[in-house]
Amino acid sequence: MRAGTILRTVWLIAAVGFMLLPVYAMLVVASAPDDTDLRGLVFNGFHLPENIGLLFGEGNLPTYLRNSLILCVGTGVLDVIFSAAAGYAMAQLSFPGRRVLFALVIGTLALTPMVLVIPVFLIVKELGWVNTFQGMMVPGMISAFGVFLVRQFALGIPKELLLAARVDGAGEFRIFARIAVPLLKPALITLFLVHFLAQWDNLLWPLIVANEQELWPLPVGLANFQSEVGFNYHLTTTAALVTAVPPFILMVALQRYYVAGLTFGGLKR
Amino acid sequence: MSVLGRVRARPQATAGVALTLPVAVFFVVFWLVPFLAAIYLSFTDYEMAGTPNWIGFANYERMFADPGFLNSAWITVVYTVCTVVPTIVLALLVAVPLSRPGRLNRRLRALVMIPAVMPLAATSMVWVIIYSDRGLANTLLGLVGIDPQSWLTSSDLAIWALVVMVVWKSMGLFVIILTAGLQALPGEVYEAAAIDGSGAVTTFTRITLPLLRRTLLFVLVISVAGSMQAFVPAFLLTGGGPADATQVLPYYIWANAFPYEHMGYAAAMGMVLLAAMVIVSALQFGFLKGGDE
Repeated sequence: MRAGTILRTVWLIAAVGFMLLPVYAMLVVASAPDDTDLRGLVFNGFHLPENIGLLFGEGNLPTYLRNSLILCVGTGVLDVIFSAAAGYAMAQLSFPGRRVLFALVIGTLALTPMVLVIPVFLIVKELGWVNTFQGMMVPGMISAFGVFLVRQFALGIPKELLLAARVDGAGEFRIFARIAVPLLKPALITLFLVHFLAQWDNLLWPLIVANEQELWPLPVGLANFQSEVGFNYHLTTTAALVTAVPPFILMVALQRYYVAGLTFGGLKR
Repeated sequence: MSVLGRVRARPQATAGVALTLPVAVFFVVFWLVPFLAAIYLSFTDYEMAGTPNWIGFANYERMFADPGFLNSAWITVVYTVCTVVPTIVLALLVAVPLSRPGRLNRRLRALVMIPAVMPLAATSMVWVIIYSDRGLANTLLGLVGIDPQSWLTSSDLAIWALVVMVVWKSMGLFVIILTAGLQALPGEVYEAAAIDGSGAVTTFTRITLPLLRRTLLFVLVISVAGSMQAFVPAFLLTGGGPADATQVLPYYIWANAFPYEHMGYAAAMGMVLLAAMVIVSALQFGFLKGGDE
């Protein structure tokens, strides 16, 4: 091996090792029997199953986990449905208001949630949705990212295919459901994944709109976790680990779509 | 338009409207109206109880005499620069060798995804432990003979503790994006460069960087925007403290709006943050577009 290759390999292994060190430390502390050793370097037995059992036995973690799953799967599915319909229509159908809608969707991409949370909270309050699931879910239900992603993808559907279906007498809704949706499947999976991961990590909005513990998703629960278990470091870490598991499983199962979602906009289009 | 086209135009219009209507209503109710309402609120003295009264530019004038706002704005600038620059440089240093083919690299690329998909909330809790008195940070410092530090409770160190965590968290993500960008570059250019005897550094600065411009712009824009509106790390790691040392602007806006219910004032600060973000992204696009010609 040439010196350059060796150097490069050593650098890469060191860099990736360093990036994994906090993850490793998480695993060590989450498996500890108590919180006497927080260095996270050496396993002191493997008590992870007991720790998880403890959290599921008496803590509120199962509630947080359930709430997070309802929130993420619920809004994820809705985002996929509505973005698929709107993205396809904006790419392939001519209808009045198409340009205005496109401008509206693109415009929202530039807005920061810090500007919107206050008035959206007031709207949700007006609707009587404070401390409800719909209050947590509806405002974040559709993302401009999703509509835009599907639209860009739907621009690639051959016009001839749709025209042929029309000549055969298929209705527009049938064409959408039977021809467009199957072709859009990769984009829709990517959208679901991106939406799920973002929603899984959404702390700000549930923090604002839900102050009943029964409704808290994992990020809000974790934020209050230390008081709940008497500031028990190793169990807090176990809870963090549990929070990281569903995104990790999704990423392993849908790795290809994950990279596609991350790089959308970064590569040539 | 042909007869067939005219016959077909109407069902298309109906379907188009029907398919986009939910999204259109949603964006009007939850984006456009709130945006206009936020502009209006920023000119009022609205507190959660009571009605909004028009007070003109008073909120905006107040900001520039408010030490809390000026402190937060400055911390946000420091936080943004100090998270974005090291993250992108480090991510590039890892992504360039990592994007080369090979079995080891493929495995390492899979491993990099682990920190990238860690939820920020979970990451923050783990780093609270890393920064604790007996945690990993002090253990590693001890190895090189430095005394243990109180990372999260020292007003000098807390902001840097936050920065290190965010750099770590974003790096995995950016390594993946940059690696994908690098792998999409045309291989022939590199073969030609190798034949011409171009060295590694020359190849990197003359070929890789210019070709990667679009991906770099994307990474830069999302990381700057992400840092400017970052709320979670400050909320979870330090609660804005100690003594406001990590009170980034999004945290200050949230604190004013919700715990303190100064909604009008918070809306005005949100507008300033938005304006800053728009200006900064415009500068980034202008800067990198300039290189296009």
